Amino acid sequence: MPLDYRRFNGPEDSIPYKRFTKDFVKSYDELFKELLDDKGVRKDGRALSEARSMCMFFARADMVSQAKGSAYVELRKTKVVCSVFDPREIPHQNEFSELGQIFCEVKFAPFSCPRRRRPHAPDAEEKALSVALRKALEPSVCRHMFPNYQVDVFIYILENDGACLSAAINAAGLALADAAVPMYDIITSCTVAVIGDKMFVDPTEAEEYLATTNPDTPINHGLLTLSTLSELKQISDFIQIGSMDVLSVTNAMEVLEKECERLVPLVQKVLVGNVLKCFDQRKRLEEEANEREKALNSKMEEWKKLLNAG
Amino acid sequence: MAGLLLSPTEKVFIVHGVQRPKPILGISCCSLTSANAAPQFEGRGGEQLAIGIAKLMQAAYHSSDAFDLKQLCIFEGKQCWKIYVDILILECGGNLCDAVSMAVKAALFNTKLPSVKAALMDGGNIDLQLSDDPYDAKSLDIGTAPLLVTLCKIGDKCVVDPSAEEESCSVISVVVGVTGNPSSYNSEENVSDTAKESKFTTIEMIGSGSVAPKTLKDAMNQGM
Repeated sequence: MPLDYRRFNGPEDSIPYKRFTKDFVKSYDELFKELLDDKGVRKDGRALSEARSMCMFFARADMVSQAKGSAYVELRKTKVVCSVFDPREIPHQNEFSELGQIFCEVKFAPFSCPRRRRPHAPDAEEKALSVALRKALEPSVCRHMFPNYQVDVFIYILENDGACLSAAINAAGLALADAAVPMYDIITSCTVAVIGDKMFVDPTEAEEYLATTNPDTPINHGLLTLSTLSELKQISDFIQIGSMDVLSVTNAMEVLEKECERLVPLVQKVLVGNVLKCFDQRKRLEEEANEREKALNSKMEEWKKLLNAG
Repeated sequence: MAGLLLSPTEKVFIVHGVQRPKPILGISCCSLTSANAAPQFEGRGGEQLAIGIAKLMQAAYHSSDAFDLKQLCIFEGKQCWKIYVDILILECGGNLCDAVSMAVKAALFNTKLPSVKAALMDGGNIDLQLSDDPYDAKSLDIGTAPLLVTLCKIGDKCVVDPSAEEESCSVISVVVGVTGNPSSYNSEENVSDTAKESKFTTIEMIGSGSVAPKTLKDAMNQGM
C-alpha cells in the first residue's frame, strides 16, 4: 500500500483512535438493533420500505457549465455530481468499432466516506463502480449513432451515505439526457439491503455496511442494486452480493422494480423542467439580441443623419 | 470474443439451434496450451476483464456462508493467514467465469495451512514458529465455496456453459454464484445435519444488453 507522502501519516505501528471508542466493540446484534427502533422506524425517520426519493430527492440537470451535460443528485446525505462530455474518437484503438463506447469514471471525494479517507489514486472499489456504471448505461444509449466515438461520463461522489451506485446511475441518466445523447429510455436505479427478513429500501451507509458484513448466524444478508429501463420493461443491470436464497432475491427484485418505477416521474419532471428552462433562456437571449439590434440600428440612423448633415 | 470469426449465417444457426427445446448441458474440458488467450488481451487490453473477474470472485467469496474466514485465524484480533488467489487465463474458449471459479475452488481445496508450533509474545509483537514438517498441515474447509454459473441469453432461452461461438451470439449473460453443499464432501452418516440449501452469493450481468425481469428470474432459477 503506497503511502501518501504529502500528508503526515503517523508512526507505522500506530492504531487508529476509533479502536478505543465504544462503537468499535459493538456486536452485530447491537448494531442491528440500532438501525431500527421499536416501531420499525429507521434511524432517519423513514419506514423500512420508504426510499429517500419519496421524502428528500433533489436532482437538477445542467450543473457543470464546462460539460456538455451534467446533473446533480442528492439522496439526503448521498450527493453525486455527474458530467458528460462531447463524443470524441476512441484513443489508442486500431480497429473500427461499430458501436460507440461509454467511458465511465467514478471518483470518491477524499472526504466522502465516514469510515476512511479516500486515496487520490483510483482504488478497487472505484474501478468496480465504474465498470458497473458502464454496464448499466450501455443498454440505454443508442450507441450505433456514434460509431468509433466514445462519450465520457464522469461521476464525482461528494458524500457517500449508501446507495451511491444507484445515485450515480440516476445522475448519469439525467446528465446523458441533458447532453442530448440519443437514448432509448430513461434509466432509473435503486438499491436494497437485506438483513434477515428485513428489507431496507435505499439503505444508508450504516445499513449497507451491516448488510455486507457477516452475521453471527447464517441468515440472509446482502445488497442488491437494480437499474431498469421502465418504458421498455427491461433490466439493464442487476448486482447482488452477500448470501441469499432464491425467495428472498425474487422478493427483493420485485421491491426494487417498483421503486425504480416510482423514480421515473421524478426524473421526467427534472428533464422537462430543464428543457423549459432552456427554452426560456433562448427566448430571453433572442429578445436581448433584438433589443441590441434595435439600439444599433437607431445609432446607425443617427450617424447617417450626422454624415448627411455634415 | 472479438477475435472469433463467425458469419451472420452461422450466428443465426446457433440462435435457432438454441431455441429448440432440448437441454444443452455439459462441462467443458480445456487443455491449457497457449500462453496468449487472445490478441485483444495484449498489453493492458486484458485489464478490464481481469478487474471484472477478480471483482466477481471477491463478491462470490465475500459472505461467511461461502467461505468462513474464521479458518484463517491464528490469534483472534492479532494474527491471521492471508490467502492470495492468482488467476492466469491461458486460453478463452467461452464460459470463463465458471472455469475460473472451479479452478479457484480446486486450488483452495488443495491449499494447506502449516500448523503453528509455538508462539512467542515479545512485547506487542507475536513471533510465530511454524512446523517444519510439510505434512503437518491442515486443509481448508471449502464445502460451501461458491461456484459461478454463466447463463448466456440467446433468443429467449438461457444456455449453460456456452462456447465462445455461442457467447458471441448473445449480448447479455447472467452470472450467478451458488454456494456448494458441504454434505457432498462428507461421508454418509452426517449428511442430514450438514445438508444446507444452496444460496446465491453473487449475481451479476455481463455484456451490454438488457433483459426482461421474467427472463432474469428464470435464469436465476435455472442457475440454481
